[in-house]
Amino acid sequence: MRLRTVEHGHRLPQRLKLLLIRVVSMRRVPDVVKTLFYRPEFFGRPMCDWTQAVMRGPSPWSVGERELFAAFTSRLNQCVF
Amino acid sequence: MDNPSGRYAALTKRLVDSVLAPSGHMASDARQAVLARAARLGGRPSSPLSQRERGTGGEDIPPALAGYVDKVALHAYTVTDEDLAALKRAGNSDDVLFEATVSAALGAALGRLERGLSALRGESSPPDPLSTLGPHPLTPSPFGRGGTRE
Repeated sequence: MRLRTVEHGHRLPQRLKLLLIRVVSMRRVPDVVKTLFYRPEFFGRPMCDWTQAVMRGPSPWSVGERELFAAFTSRLNQCVF
Repeated sequence: MDNPSGRYAALTKRLVDSVLAPSGHMASDARQAVLARAARLGGRPSSPLSQRERGTGGEDIPPALAGYVDKVALHAYTVTDEDLAALKRAGNSDDVLFEATVSAALGAALGRLERGLSALRGESSPPDPLSTLGPHPLTPSPFGRGGTRE
């Protein structure tokens, strides 16, 4: 993570959630999660609501098809999905 | 599909409003200018402009930050540690850079979304801004995945 504050600067509730994720998964928390948990009222919370509706909400596309669209788009952006 | 933001317009509006909220480390006007600049680069159809976007031609963005915004909007995988280090040396805090990055990424995404929805409605599109800016993203990189240098 290039921005130190997004890596380590979380507030207490998010810090506890990150700790829980780390303990339960026994893995390093992915950067995207740390980004969504940093000042969540600015970006993470509305972004998660948007993603939940788009990727899991009612749609003519199945969840699998939507995940495929996302993976393909990430590939075009040279971003690991 | 009459709304330019599509089926999820309400959620999209809430997301944009949060990112452009008055409180923050970077001025809201500057975040708005970053978002509008990235949306244009992402292919946002040039009109109609919403009230928010009028008068934001990128003039509120410092030149050094404008280069970074363009990079995030067009080929974010080329951003380097040195890009961020230089912006920090120029006096930008982590929070300013976080807000600038989110604004640029969201703007680019919205530009692409609006361009795609506009194409589905059968409207003509402006030229693809990516087509004049080097190889297609699927071109294999000599530096490996995600490791392309400029």
